[in-house]
Order: sequence, then structure tokens, then C-alpha cells
Amino acid sequence: MGGRAYNLRVMAVVEIESLAKSYRVYQKAEGLLASVAGLFHRRYRTVEAVRGIDLAVEAGEFVAFLGPNGAGKTTTLKLLSGVINPTSGMARVLGHVPWRRENAYRRRFALVMGQKNQLWWDLPAAESFRLHQQIYRIEPDEFDRTRDELTDMLSIRGLLSQPVRELSLGERMKMELTAALLHSPEVLFLDEPTIGLDVVAQYNIQDFLKHYQQERGITTLLTSHYMKDVAALCRRVVIIAHGRIMFDGSLSQIVDRFGGHKVVTLLFANGHIPGDLGVYGEVILEEPPRAKVRVERTAVAKTLAQILQQHPVEDVSVEDPPLEEVIAEMFSQVNEAAEQDDAEQLAGSEG
Amino acid sequence: MADFNRGHRKGDRSNLPERPAGCCAPIAPVPFSAKRPSYLRVLLIFARNSLVRDMTFRGNFLIEMISSMAWIFMNLGFYILVFQHTPQLGDVNNWGEYSFAWGKYEFFLFLSTTLLINSLVQTLFMANASEFSEMIRTGTLDFALLKPIDTQFLISLQRIQWSSLGNFGVGLGLAVYSLVRIGRVPTPWQVLLFALFVACGVAIMYSLMIALAATSIWLGRNQSLYNFWFYITNFSRYPMEIYHGAYGTPLRLFFTFIIPVLVVVNVPARFLVRPLVPQTPGDLLLPVFAVAATLASLAGSRWVFNRSLLGYRSASS
Amino acid sequence: MYARPAIWWTILRISLEERLVYRGDFALGTLMRFLPILTQVFLWWAVFTAASSGGAVDQTRIVGYSYHDFVAYYLLTMISRAFSSMPGLASGIARDIRDGTVKKYLIQPIDMLSFLLLNRMGHKLVYYTVAALPFALVFFLCRGFFPGGWPEPQIMAAYVASLLMAFLLGFFLEATIGMIGFWFLEVSSLLFVYMLFNFFFSGHMFPLDMLPGYWSTVVKVIPLQYLAYFPAAVFLGKVQGPELVVGLCIQLAWVVFFIALSRVAFRRGVRRYSGYGG
Repeated sequence: MGGRAYNLRVMAVVEIESLAKSYRVYQKAEGLLASVAGLFHRRYRTVEAVRGIDLAVEAGEFVAFLGPNGAGKTTTLKLLSGVINPTSGMARVLGHVPWRRENAYRRRFALVMGQKNQLWWDLPAAESFRLHQQIYRIEPDEFDRTRDELTDMLSIRGLLSQPVRELSLGERMKMELTAALLHSPEVLFLDEPTIGLDVVAQYNIQDFLKHYQQERGITTLLTSHYMKDVAALCRRVVIIAHGRIMFDGSLSQIVDRFGGHKVVTLLFANGHIPGDLGVYGEVILEEPPRAKVRVERTAVAKTLAQILQQHPVEDVSVEDPPLEEVIAEMFSQVNEAAEQDDAEQLAGSEG
Repeated sequence: MADFNRGHRKGDRSNLPERPAGCCAPIAPVPFSAKRPSYLRVLLIFARNSLVRDMTFRGNFLIEMISSMAWIFMNLGFYILVFQHTPQLGDVNNWGEYSFAWGKYEFFLFLSTTLLINSLVQTLFMANASEFSEMIRTGTLDFALLKPIDTQFLISLQRIQWSSLGNFGVGLGLAVYSLVRIGRVPTPWQVLLFALFVACGVAIMYSLMIALAATSIWLGRNQSLYNFWFYITNFSRYPMEIYHGAYGTPLRLFFTFIIPVLVVVNVPARFLVRPLVPQTPGDLLLPVFAVAATLASLAGSRWVFNRSLLGYRSASS
Repeated sequence: MYARPAIWWTILRISLEERLVYRGDFALGTLMRFLPILTQVFLWWAVFTAASSGGAVDQTRIVGYSYHDFVAYYLLTMISRAFSSMPGLASGIARDIRDGTVKKYLIQPIDMLSFLLLNRMGHKLVYYTVAALPFALVFFLCRGFFPGGWPEPQIMAAYVASLLMAFLLGFFLEATIGMIGFWFLEVSSLLFVYMLFNFFFSGHMFPLDMLPGYWSTVVKVIPLQYLAYFPAAVFLGKVQGPELVVGLCIQLAWVVFFIALSRVAFRRGVRRYSGYGG
């Protein structure tokens, strides 16, 4: 941004303070009699989707929200988009309160949802884009330029005049992304943008998002189930479970904190695997002459020394466990912690 | 790789006030080149896109048009049957100050007014209202809420249902035919007032419809929308004079002053059927009331619409 | 085979529960259904006062119907329709065919038509339970329109029989139409046309006796009149003696015809469907 130094880094683009959202859901009663009773008296259950989140995201950050299903990731994104109103708490994005839905705010951000489509199903995407141009009041030359850039980057320029319903899922998602970015938003919310896509399309979209985000410095919040998305794109990861933030840091920190073990791969010189390997850790693979052992992170050095001393080992490698595994482990830990919190809160409120 | 920094808005940052390091106060809203969308242009794109879509399914378009016209002719057939057994609807002598007897062709003028109003409502709003309920159910309303444009405008006019204009043609034809049979040529003033009050009628119907669609946020399903819509507007399809007597009068008052569906067709139709000189106090007061009712309905529907958005939950698929 | 009744009971029960969830719709829907009758009451009063031209409205007859008969007729068609109308049946079948859901009936040991029939019975039973009160209320308030009171027991029995057959006829007729989805993908327009004809020629809109010569023959040879007009006419005593027996027999014949037709259509449709490998 030129030679002049601006103190932009400290400005939070997204600020969230004790944001909470709860729903009242009709509890469908089991059984016929209960259903009849439900005609006259309905039971409701309160679902606390988000319960007091605090978060600040600075300009140009690419943050991933991770968490089990129903943890409140998507709800948070929807609150930040102003699509739903919170039960309590405050949030500001670019200085606007999202749920006031001011046009000035709505012109400055975009939301892409992998599970919902906004393009007209029966029309070519180009027609939907024209509509966006009018709604966002994009200058014609700027519109043409942005559209061409985006569609070139995503290699879908040739598909612009085909009805959306004839496009593949991946192509459709790319069109949705283009539609969302036509007005050059400053903040981008991505909710499962690669859901259901094949590996190639997933990679294409990741690649696009990476470049686009880097070049534009657009502040981006992403929820995804695919660890590959997160690993490829985000340096900062926020873990949400039971509507609360359980972790906020980098991916490698997650591995350090939640990946409690490493995977040691051993190649034995004499071609057969010693029978007492189990004492060092859980043996996860035996494929002579190769074996994989899961070893406590803190005990790796000691264990390795012992094995090397006692067995003829030709080659050794020590790796972090697969990311998916760490995350799964983390989710279960986080879930437990969150449930404990819930229990404590409940006890506190009763006392 | 395309150059993304060209013409990028991040450059506007230079307009921002500088902040001391470490300050976490929210940034003030950036003075943005706030351009309102041109609502007319957006509407034209809606109309165009809808037409393009309709023309992709031309066969369906034709069938829709023809079948809804067939429905009109069936209705017409019913009224022809009715008028085979009676010279007119109602008896002038018994019906007090609102008294007016509708002969066959006068009634057909009334019917054509109904057709004109209903077809306009269907063309402009019907598909949108049902789509609105669907958007609430599936959570795709999200996208409408994201757009920097009035949400009610966007929701109400996104899809123009061109096929319903067929009925508009039938309505015009029936009006001309009936006028010829009666032997009356309306004055330009009559036509103008007629058009104005048809517009009022459309606005009232629209308000009712969008308010009903909005209630599906609370009711959960939109199936009752059409039923309710049909049953309520059913009252507007007959001259208000027929609601008469111990039960009829309260009904007439209710559907005139509480839910003003009776003024929708009655007011414009009278401008076409009767001379412009007011003969009863009602002739003058009713049109004035219709204008007030239009404004109130529009305001009321906007209120309901906005209320309903507060209850929106954005279902995830 | 012994598991069948259990399966059927489960289907029926699930359908019942499914319906009960949508309480809001139910209450509104039932109430609203009577509103059109109100306009008819007033419309026909307007017609009769004009037709009597100053004379006694009570003595005036139009196609053999007094003013009271007209209103009673409309109320009775409401009952007929409560039995014979099958909202969403044909379009549901067509949709299932289009999106492939129909395959589940080919895999699971359930016959599609029986499943849908039970499902529909579940829906209807719930509807009657909920609607009984408003119906009773309306008929009580309108008892003045039935100066004859309840008909004789044998007429009443014939009436109930014609209602039950109206349900079956409505079901199998619409199911057959839904099967057209096996041959044409887009049936919604066709359904709309059917609905139009149904509304007009079932007698829902007006007593079919009002139709002049040519049309009345058309109406007599198509089955639609048995969905609304016929039961109402039976109740009002417009059809009596041998005419009544013949009418019931023809209605039964139509039911049997459409049961057979829907079966044949289903079998042929499925064959065509699997022929596609889809």
C-alpha cells in the first residue's frame, strides 16, 4: 500500500463480544397419543446454538472455524452476515452491526454457502450476474473486468451462457463464488464452500481462494469439514464446540496440543518384526519388514533410543499423526470439556 | 494470474483516520460511495430474466396460460348459467343505501375488473409470495437478506409470472364486450379513475398476500397460504351489495373496513358501470376510503414483513 | 406375510403423527374451508330475491332447488369433497417417479398403492377428527337450511356408502393420473387441467342439474360427478328408488375400474421405468 506506513494491522475488521443465539424448537413428541396432545399443548426445547463468543479478526486474516456438526460455526457466520438476529451480545463487522442490515454494510461483504444456491437455476449465470451488477450498482467496465478476472481464474468463462442447472456441482460452486465476489467485498464469509465436491474441484476452489485472498488481502472467515481446506488456506483456526470457542490459534498448535502422540515408522533390517513391539506403544501397522507404532509425544526420544538399542533397525521416521485423526481426537476432547462446562454452568445456575 | 489490485477498494483505506497502535476500537463505517440501486432497472432485469426463463419452457408457459384462461371461461360459464335463471343480482327495492342491481353485463364488467386485478396480482406477486414461503422453509432467504437493496422489494418482484397476463387479456376483452352490450362508452375520466383504483386494488391484494406469506415463518408451512388467500379473496369476487341483512351487513363491514378486500374490485368496477355523478354518500366515501385502505394495507404489510424477518431462522439444508 | 398388518399399522400411525405436527395449518385450514360457502349463501339469496321478482323467495325454485336446497347442497358437497379430494396425491406420485423415490417401493416389501392408500387414510382420519367439531358447528348453525331434517335410514346408508366410494374413487382416480408421470415428466399442467374439470364437473361449483341438455349428458357419462354431486344429491333426496341403486352401482363400477387401471398403469410404468435402467 505504497510507501506510507499505516497502522492497519491492529484494526479489527470483525469484532464479536459475548454473542449468543438460542432457538426455540418444537419438540416433536414420540408416539401417537403424544402427537394428539401436541395439537393442544406444544413442548419447546431451547437450543443454544451460540453461547457467548468473543473474537476479533484483523484485516486480511483468513480464519477457519472448526468444530463438530451443530457446534455453532454456521450460526456465527449467519449472525455476522446479518441473516439472523442474535439473542444477546454484540458484533461489528467493518464497524457495522450486521443484523441492522444497512445497505452500506451489505455492499461490503459476501457470504457463500456450499449448501445453498442463489443463482437462478434455469438461467445462464451471466444473467444472474447482470442482476447483481444492478443491485450492487457496479460500474459496467468494472463489472466486466471483475467478472472476466474471476471467471478466468476459476476457468468457467466458457460456461457463462449455459443454464446453471446444466452445470456440474463444482462449476456451479465456482459460479456462486464469482457471483459473491463481483462487488469486490472487503469481508468474505465461506460456509462449507467445498462440500460435496470432487477432489479436483475442491483443489481448484482452494487454490482460487488462496490466491484471491492473498492478492486482495480480503478478510475471510471459513467453515469447513475438510481439513484439507483448512490446512491449505488458514493460518488461524478457531475451534467451536457447544456454541463456545474452545481454541484459537494455529494449526500446528492444535497438533501440539491435541495430537498427544506421534507415529513412528520402523524398517527392520532382518525382515521380521519383533513380537514385543507392543510395549513401546500401540502397533498400528505390521507389514514386514515395516511397522508403525503410535508413541506418546513426550516419550518419543526415549522409546526410539530403546528400540534402536534392542532391535536391528534399518530406517526410522517420526511423523505427526494425520490431521484428520488429530482433529477427531480434539473434537472428542473439546466436546467433553464443553459438556463439563455445561454441567458446571447448570450446577451454578441451580445453586 | 489476473492482477487483483487493479481498481481494488483497499486503496480507499487512505481515507481512514489513523489510529494509535494497540487501539481496538471498532473502525467507523467507511464513507462508502453509497450508490442506491436503480429499482426500476432491477425490476426490468427481473422482468427480463423471468421472460427468458418462461421462454425456455415454452410448452409449459402455454399450457399454464391456457389452463388459467380455461378456468376463467368455466367461471364465466357458471355465471351465464346463473343469469339464465335471474335477470339480475339483487333487488333494488330492498337494499337500502348501497342499493344497486347488477344485470348480466354489468356483472360481467364487475367480473372483468376482478380478472384484471387478479391477473396483475398473479403476474407480479403470486409466484414471489409462494417462493417467499419456500425461501423461509429452505433457508435461501439468506441471499435476499444479503443484498444491498430493499428486501421486501427484492422478495416481492423477483419472478414475474408472464403467463398470467393471458387473463389480463381476457379481462380486457370481457370488459369491452360487456360495455358494447350495455351500450355505454366510458368517459376518459372514468377510464382513468378505473385504472387508478385497479392499481389500489392490486396494492391491497398484494399487501394481504405478502403478509400471509410472511406468516409462514411462524406457521411453519405455506400450504395454508393459498387456501387462505383463495378463501379471503373469494369475498372480493362479488358485488358488495349481496352481503346484506342481519349476517351480511356485519360481513360487509368486516371485509370493507377490517380486511378491505371488498373495496378491491367494487370501487373500480363502479366507476366503469355507473355514471360519474355520485348518487349516494357511499359513492363518494368509498373511493376515498379505498385510497386510505391502500396506504394502510401497504404500511401494515411492510410491518408484518419486517416482523417476520425477525423470526427468520435460516434453516440449513 | 404375517408381518403385513404390523407394517400397515406403522404406516398409518406415522401418517397420523406427521399430520398432527402441523397444528397451525390444521386449525386455519379447517376454518377457512367454510368461507366460500358464505359467499354462496349470499350469492344465491341475491339470485333468488331477484328471481322471485317480489314474490315469496321460499316458493321460488331453480332447477327444482329451493334457496334452502342450494345452500344445503353446497354444505353437503363440502362433506363429499372432504372424502374425495386428495390434495398432493397425483403430484406426489409424479414427483416420486421423477426423482426416483418410487424405486423404494420396488425394493421394499411394500406395495406402493396400498402404502399410499393407508397414508391417505391416516391423513383423512386425522382431518376428520380435527374437522368434526367445526363441521358439526357449521351444520348446527345451518340446520335451518335442512328443513327436512335427517333423511330416512336407508337413504342415510346409501349416502354413507356413496361417501366411502367417493373416497376410493378419488384416491384411485388421482393415483392413476399420477402414474402418467411414468410416461411424461411434466404432469403439473395436466393436473391443473384435471383440477379444473374436477371442480366444475364434480358439482362442487353448482348443482349439476343446472347444466343444459348437452352438457348434462357429458356429466352423466364421466365419473367426476360421483366425487361431489352424487352423495349430496342422495342426501337431499334428489336421487331415489331404482335410480339410486343404479347410481350406486355405477359408482362402484367406476371404483373397480380405477383400481384396475391404476394397477395396470403401475405395472406397465414400472416395467418401462426399469427398462430405462434408471
